[in-house]
Amino acid sequence: MRPISEQDHYEILEIERDATPDEISRAFRMAQATYGDDSLAGYSVFGEGEAQAIRERIEIAYRVLSDAESRKAYDGSLAGGDRPRRGFESPPQHEALERTEVAARIATSAELAPPLPLEELDALENEGGEFDGARLRRSRLHRGMEIEDIASRTKISPSYLRFIEEDRYADLPAPVYVRGFVTAYAKCIGLDAKLVATSYMKNFEDKTPPTVRRGRFLAGR
Amino acid sequence: VANSGLTPRRRRAPRMLPVGGGKGGVGKSFVVANLAVVLARSGQRVVAVDGDLEGANLHTCLGVPEPKSSLADFVANRVEDLDKLLIETPIPNLQLIAATHGNLATPQPNRSRRIQLMRALRQLEADFVLFDLGAGTHAAVMDYFMISDDGLVVIAPEPTSVENAYSFIRAAFYRRLRLAMVSHDMRDVVSLAMDQHNERGIRTPLDLLHEIEAFDPEEGRRFTETMRAFRPRILINGASSAEDVKLGFAVRTVCRKFFGIDSEYIGYVNHDEMARKSVRMRRTVVDLYPRSDAAIYLSRIARKLLTETGASAGERTG
Repeated sequence: MRPISEQDHYEILEIERDATPDEISRAFRMAQATYGDDSLAGYSVFGEGEAQAIRERIEIAYRVLSDAESRKAYDGSLAGGDRPRRGFESPPQHEALERTEVAARIATSAELAPPLPLEELDALENEGGEFDGARLRRSRLHRGMEIEDIASRTKISPSYLRFIEEDRYADLPAPVYVRGFVTAYAKCIGLDAKLVATSYMKNFEDKTPPTVRRGRFLAGR
Repeated sequence: VANSGLTPRRRRAPRMLPVGGGKGGVGKSFVVANLAVVLARSGQRVVAVDGDLEGANLHTCLGVPEPKSSLADFVANRVEDLDKLLIETPIPNLQLIAATHGNLATPQPNRSRRIQLMRALRQLEADFVLFDLGAGTHAAVMDYFMISDDGLVVIAPEPTSVENAYSFIRAAFYRRLRLAMVSHDMRDVVSLAMDQHNERGIRTPLDLLHEIEAFDPEEGRRFTETMRAFRPRILINGASSAEDVKLGFAVRTVCRKFFGIDSEYIGYVNHDEMARKSVRMRRTVVDLYPRSDAAIYLSRIARKLLTETGASAGERTG
C-alpha cells in the first residue's frame, strides 16, 4: 500500500476503479465521518492538521469522481500512466467544481442511502418473517441511518418513529396514520413499502383492542 | 445436533478463533459465549476456552457452576492433557475449558508453556476453538491472539475502547512481525518500532518495511508476507446508533491508512437490554431470548464464521 500522500482518488476513497455513483457517494460520506473532527475512530490516531489535510483530499476526490465528465478525464490521466503523484497539489481545471455544488449533489444522493457494505449480512436481512419494530430498526441501522435522518426526510416526528421501532402501539395514533408512517419509513430505508406496511399493520391491529383504537381514532379527529 | 450426524468425524485441526480487544468490559466473554452456543447449536463441535486467568468469567456466561478443573492446572503443570480439563456445558456439542482458581501471583504461563498450550489447543477434537482472551496487551495475551491470523477484536463504541483496540491490533501485528524476522538485527528494528517515540521516525508498518528493506530485501519479503496474512476482524459490541454501526468501517479505514494493516469488519451487535438480562441470569442471550436484537446480530456473525470455515484461511502451523 502506498502512503496516503501518493494515493489516487480511488484509493483515498477506498473504492474500485469501476465504482458506481452510489458507491462513490457512500464512500465519500463514510470518509467524511471517519476523518471528521468528532470521529470516534480517529481522535487518538490523527496528528494535528492531519485529518484536515485528508478531508481536503477526500473532497477533491469526490468532486472529481462524482461528475461523469471530470471522472472520465481523470481516468484518462490515470490510464496514461502520468499518475498524479501528490494529491495535495491544487486540482487541475476539470476539478473546478464549486463546493456548494458538491454539497447539493451529496444531499440528493443521500435521499436513499444504499445499505452499508456488509454484503454478507444483506442476504440474512432478506430472510422471511414479519416486520416488527425491531426488524425495522435493524434494517435502518444496517443502512447507516439515524432516526433523525428518517424524520427529516419523511417529516414524521422522531418520537412516532421511535414508538414504531419499539412496537409501542398504545402510543401511536390511529391505524390509518400508522400505516402511512410505516410506509414512508420503509421507503426511506429502501424496503418494499407495501410488504412492510402489511406485515407491521397486521401485528398492530392484532395487538391493539378495537375499542382503544376507535377511541383514539375519534380523539385524533 | 441434527446436523452432527452428517459431518464425518475427521481428524482435522480445529478452526482457532481468538477473541481479544485490549480493554476489559467490552463484552469479550459475552461474545465468545454466544457465538459458541450458536455454532454448537448448528452442529459444530465447539470448545470455548477461557484465557483470562486473572478474571475468569466465561463459565458464568455459559451457566456452568464454579468449575473444579481449569486452565490454571495446565499452567501449573498439574495436567498435561487438555482433554482432562474439558467440562460439559448445558449446551450439547459445547465444551468449556475454564480459567478459575488461577495462581494470582503468576497467572500467566511462561513462554515455552504458552507454546505447549497453543499446540495442545490445536489438537483438541473440535471444529471450533473459541479463545476468550483477557484484557490488556500482555505478551501472553498477544501470543494467544496470534494462534490465528484472523482473530476477533471486540470494540465497544466508546473512545477508550477504540484507543485500546488500536494498541491491541498494533501490538499483535508487531509481535507477529518480530517472530517472522530471522535476524536479530531486524527483530531489534521491529522492537524499536513498537516504541512509538522511536528516533528513527518509524510510525507505521509501512515506514518499518522501508527501513527493513533497506537493510535486507529477504527480510523485507518476509515482512510483506506477514503483513498480508495478518487480517484481524473487528466486531462492534453494543451499537446503539447508525454512527456506532459505521464505526467499524472507520476503524478499518484507520487501520489500513495509518497502520497499513488490513482488517475486516465482521459485524456489530446491537445494544440490547435483553443482553444484560441474560448475563444477569447467567445464560446466553441467543438461548434465552433468541428473538432479541442482540441474539439476531450474534447469530449473523456466527453464520458468517461458519460459511468461512471451508476456506480455513489464515491458519498457522507450528
